[in-house]
Amino acid sequence: MPLALLRRTVLAGCLLAAGPLAAETWPIPEWSSQPAAASPAVQALDDYAFAPRDDAARTGVRSDALLVIRDGVIVHERYAAPTTAQTPHLTWSISKSLFASVLGVAYGEGHFKLDDAVAQHYPPFAAHPDVKMGHLLNWASGLAWQEDYEYAPLKSSVVAMLYTRGRGDMAGFTAGHALDAIPGTRFRYSSGDSNVLGASLKSMVGEQAYADYPWTALFEPLGIASAVWERDASGTFVASSYAYMTARDLARVGLLMQRDGRWGERQLLPQSWVAFNRTPFANYRPDPQQPGDAVPGGQWWLNATLEGASKPWPDVPDDAFAALGHWGQALYVLPAQKLVVVRYADDRDASYNHNELLKRVLAAYGEQP
Amino acid sequence: MIRRRPLLSVFLLLLAGLVLQAWLNRLHLAAFPGIIGAYTAKEYCSCRYVSGNPAEYCAAYVEQYVPISTFHDDAERKRVTASGMGSSQTAAWLGPRQGCQLQEQADPL
Repeated sequence: MPLALLRRTVLAGCLLAAGPLAAETWPIPEWSSQPAAASPAVQALDDYAFAPRDDAARTGVRSDALLVIRDGVIVHERYAAPTTAQTPHLTWSISKSLFASVLGVAYGEGHFKLDDAVAQHYPPFAAHPDVKMGHLLNWASGLAWQEDYEYAPLKSSVVAMLYTRGRGDMAGFTAGHALDAIPGTRFRYSSGDSNVLGASLKSMVGEQAYADYPWTALFEPLGIASAVWERDASGTFVASSYAYMTARDLARVGLLMQRDGRWGERQLLPQSWVAFNRTPFANYRPDPQQPGDAVPGGQWWLNATLEGASKPWPDVPDDAFAALGHWGQALYVLPAQKLVVVRYADDRDASYNHNELLKRVLAAYGEQP
Repeated sequence: MIRRRPLLSVFLLLLAGLVLQAWLNRLHLAAFPGIIGAYTAKEYCSCRYVSGNPAEYCAAYVEQYVPISTFHDDAERKRVTASGMGSSQTAAWLGPRQGCQLQEQADPL
């Protein structure tokens, strides 16, 4: 019997004897940390993520934090000043996936179904009676939304929503858009769709419980203490953009997702909810001009192989999924390798590449210990 | 008219097109000057009072191509006011879970 096989057999025997829960490590209450020994692969990862930083021109890969968790244990952790392990960093659009996890708890409590009309939970959508909750979650409301910002600020719906005409009531601003596609037929990435989800939770759980719901439903059970979630002037969480937390706290959500919505012995998110998050939107057609674009699932991004297209991140397993935000924010989950990766950044150009970072993470940490 | 004054005709046609474009985009144009002040006030406030980064870092973090004419960080009250393109905007820190929010009225500078 080859040595590696023998080692695995003995290990498997030990795990079976100890029972499945005893073999799992959880950050309860704190993360345990076992930094890997220096190796060329570990060095290559840091070299990519923390290349010499150009703060004057703001060009190139500019990571603020890199945290790698393997099977519930920190194996790699590095920050660039002024970001530290204690900094609640802006997550930008990672917020969308976080809010989907908040909604997952509400879903498990029976507050809504995917084929409920949005208008049932958010009355201003009476103007769009055919838009369903599931459509919003797939960014497929059919609304005529313009997400582009830095290059088309005049007509950008998202700039108007966050900073000018929409900022008082972002969901209401979104509801004021006309449809230009049949709901559920077309993917169009939209921060507006995400903020309507943010508003729809209000009537589900009641105004009183709403203000604390992300904490009571998700953050407190996971032991997340650093979270800040900004709201618009109407009190609606800016589900699209404005959640903050430390890298270590964001990794807790990653571990929850890696373990199928289970936290310790508690099934916090229904498994069917996580499965929905990880299912490609059926009517999504990849853009041949953008082969690296991840595939939209239910407010999460997937490295799925679709017919007629190659895997978005070629060196990464196709069960990998992620929450992604503006300027390089990322939470990656690689279930088969039991890896969770948090990357915070301030990338102001397109130098950073998801596949390149994950390729190096896999080279350094992809093998099971 | 077109044959006698071709240049003037082209100019008038272009002008009419511009006016039409401006009218069609009036909502976008009216809101446009508010963007830079609002962006700067809001993202500086959050950088400073939510993430807890140093003032100098946050000033560089929010810098854009469009210049800011006035900037005031009221550190005691955690209220940040920024003006650009003739529009003043204020963001205020509301609490440890709420973070920062743009205010309807800008603080007087």
